[in-house]
Amino acid sequence: MSTRKMVHLGRRDFLRTSAAAGAMALAGPARMAMAQGAPLTMHTWSAAVDTVQSHLNAFQEETGIQVNYGNSPWAQYREGMVTKFVGGAPLDMMWVSDSWLPEWVEAGWIAPIDDFDFLMKYNAEAEDFSTDSMTYKGRQYGLTYYTDYMAFFYDEEKVKEAGFDAPPTTWEEVVEQSLVMKEKGISEYPMMLAMAQESWLIEFMSSLVFSHGGHFTDDNGDSVMQNADGGAVQALQWVVDAVNKHGIISPACVETGELSGLKAFASGNHAFAMVAKYRLRMLNDPEQSQIAGRVKQAMMPMGPDGDHSTVGWMRFHGMSSQAAQDPKRAEDTARLIEWFGGKANGEYKFQKLLFLDIGAGFGVKPLFDDPDIQAAYDQYGDVEIIKAQQAIARKKDVITPWFGEWNEANGTAWQQAILGNSDVASALAKSGETWDELKSEY
Amino acid sequence: MANSIETIDTNIDYRRRQRLGRLGHKAVILFGALLLAFYALAPISWLVSSSLQTEAEIVSVPPHWIPDEPTLQNFRAIFSAGEDEPVTYETRSGADPVSGGFIPSSASSLLPSMWNSTIVATLVVILNLLVGVPAAYAIAKIRYWGRNASMYFILITRVIPDIALVVPFFLVIRKLGMLDTIGSLVITYLAVTVPFTVFILVQFFEGLPDELDKAARVDGCSRFQAMVRVFLPLSLPSLVAVVLFTFLTSWNEFLLALMFTQTEASQTLPILLASFTSDFTVSFSFLNAAGVLAIVPPVIVAIIFERYIVSGLTAGAVKG
Repeated sequence: MSTRKMVHLGRRDFLRTSAAAGAMALAGPARMAMAQGAPLTMHTWSAAVDTVQSHLNAFQEETGIQVNYGNSPWAQYREGMVTKFVGGAPLDMMWVSDSWLPEWVEAGWIAPIDDFDFLMKYNAEAEDFSTDSMTYKGRQYGLTYYTDYMAFFYDEEKVKEAGFDAPPTTWEEVVEQSLVMKEKGISEYPMMLAMAQESWLIEFMSSLVFSHGGHFTDDNGDSVMQNADGGAVQALQWVVDAVNKHGIISPACVETGELSGLKAFASGNHAFAMVAKYRLRMLNDPEQSQIAGRVKQAMMPMGPDGDHSTVGWMRFHGMSSQAAQDPKRAEDTARLIEWFGGKANGEYKFQKLLFLDIGAGFGVKPLFDDPDIQAAYDQYGDVEIIKAQQAIARKKDVITPWFGEWNEANGTAWQQAILGNSDVASALAKSGETWDELKSEY
Repeated sequence: MANSIETIDTNIDYRRRQRLGRLGHKAVILFGALLLAFYALAPISWLVSSSLQTEAEIVSVPPHWIPDEPTLQNFRAIFSAGEDEPVTYETRSGADPVSGGFIPSSASSLLPSMWNSTIVATLVVILNLLVGVPAAYAIAKIRYWGRNASMYFILITRVIPDIALVVPFFLVIRKLGMLDTIGSLVITYLAVTVPFTVFILVQFFEGLPDELDKAARVDGCSRFQAMVRVFLPLSLPSLVAVVLFTFLTSWNEFLLALMFTQTEASQTLPILLASFTSDFTVSFSFLNAAGVLAIVPPVIVAIIFERYIVSGLTAGAVKG
């Protein structure tokens, strides 16, 4: 037991603890300087940089509050932020992924924003899973600017060519239609599933599990993924059969990342795909896709004991603990958060801009009724399906401080089962065991 | 029967056989060379070809090595650098239906980031030589107490992985108030490149006879003059290797640049290239266009110094 705890000191912990002493010694003057009226510092990953900048310039003009804006690449954003936090870099508002919330809260890097009533009022119009995803231990840590979910897309032309009038509604029907497509030579691997070890993997697994009526954990946070009737077993069994028994998913799926899978689907190699809903715009853009105009969204197929549930995720604007320590700075940061995550001059301006500019999903329901949004959606999707699927999206049930470590072990377990190196029950038993061990350690 | 064998033997055209053999030999070499050239050039060719394709064409199956409809839209996005005026809702690139779709909104930051990379790499090369050459000369030619220890100490600094240095470096840079400046990169890159420079040059200087040094001193040269007038001209291949190593290291470095830079004012090329792969949109064709531009300066530097590269890298490898 004690050995396990010693081994447990990971790279992140090492970085955190090794820097803490130095940071404490060196960070003092910076904090004092920050408290003396320096401009706010906002850091994001490098997405929609121009859109962010334009909205930020409007904020500065409107409020007179000056903000330094910086950004880093998405893939390395988390590592960069960890260094900035432990190094005491000036930071007030930053983008946060729901996956990092428990870790950043436990480390004391970000602060709750629920003391600001003018921010909390927006929860009434936000999707529940979105608000849940930025809540940890009963406190809310930000306002969302982007929310999306895992969607099921199909190539309408291929479905019709195979002789079907409608897309599949169950995972059984996915197999059935895929086998016909294989037989007719329409597609070698009709279903595109990206199961490579990357940040997307948990989203794919969660949507498969949810749509099979399952969970990874119960309400107490204990593992249920290994239970034979828990849905996770059925979900993984479906994938294993789809790869090894039916041959409708390529065995290379364990090395296919979301982006590669998306591009393969866009090239016309597949008939069905699970990808983020916002990809629909790209898939139906003739400039970017070979199957533009043919990609439609269907509700997530359901398993025998499941429904059309899928997984939703979100990113939000958070406030640093540094900023929260100074009331004036915290107030200004909260106003900045509202400008981006709430309404700016009476409308959800930033979420709307993000959607119109790059197709990113939004987490506030009133935007579905916005004429500009509807007009944009009409060009490439069915707003009613999009809305209906989003309404039953659920937050991931594995977001904990030990999520990162468990996620790696769980991903490997799934991959081993898909490759036939272990059976489904053993793979999920191992995954559940790892979860319980990590939970007890934390 | 015996007669017929004799006849066959006497009919063998050895010259022809030799010619054929030589031809075959050359053919094998040519084939091998072509294979190697293809292996080396295919990725570059694809990089250039796909940079001229649309995003839809780049994912076509089979791939088009020669674009059906070549386009310069990616390069146009890079070279249409915006003015310095503040970005507004009206002027943001996202509002442009053409570029907003998949070309990153920070496309016009590519040239400034190349400029940053060039300045950083050039400064590091110059400062690296200014620090590294005298240090190597001193270690190689001046006998002093702790000489070997200082050499080992310099080498040990390279044993520490960069990731372990990130947080300490970050604290120092922040304390110096140099976050998000080019200077932070120059300082930290020197810490990485100087030990290698010293190591390479020490090996080379030690290979040059001490008599040269003594003769120069007898002729009235100071230590500094002996180094500049005698040793440096003889060390050209090693200096070129060091320059190349330093330039390429600085040009490609990612981790420290990621940590210390956050705006266009200081971000270098690798950071900007990585930022084009956002969580929302990725354009392979645009990335490849950026990649084409990114490899131009290192290729130019390599071509200029090409004839010195091999002799420089093997300098000091064998002691006579």
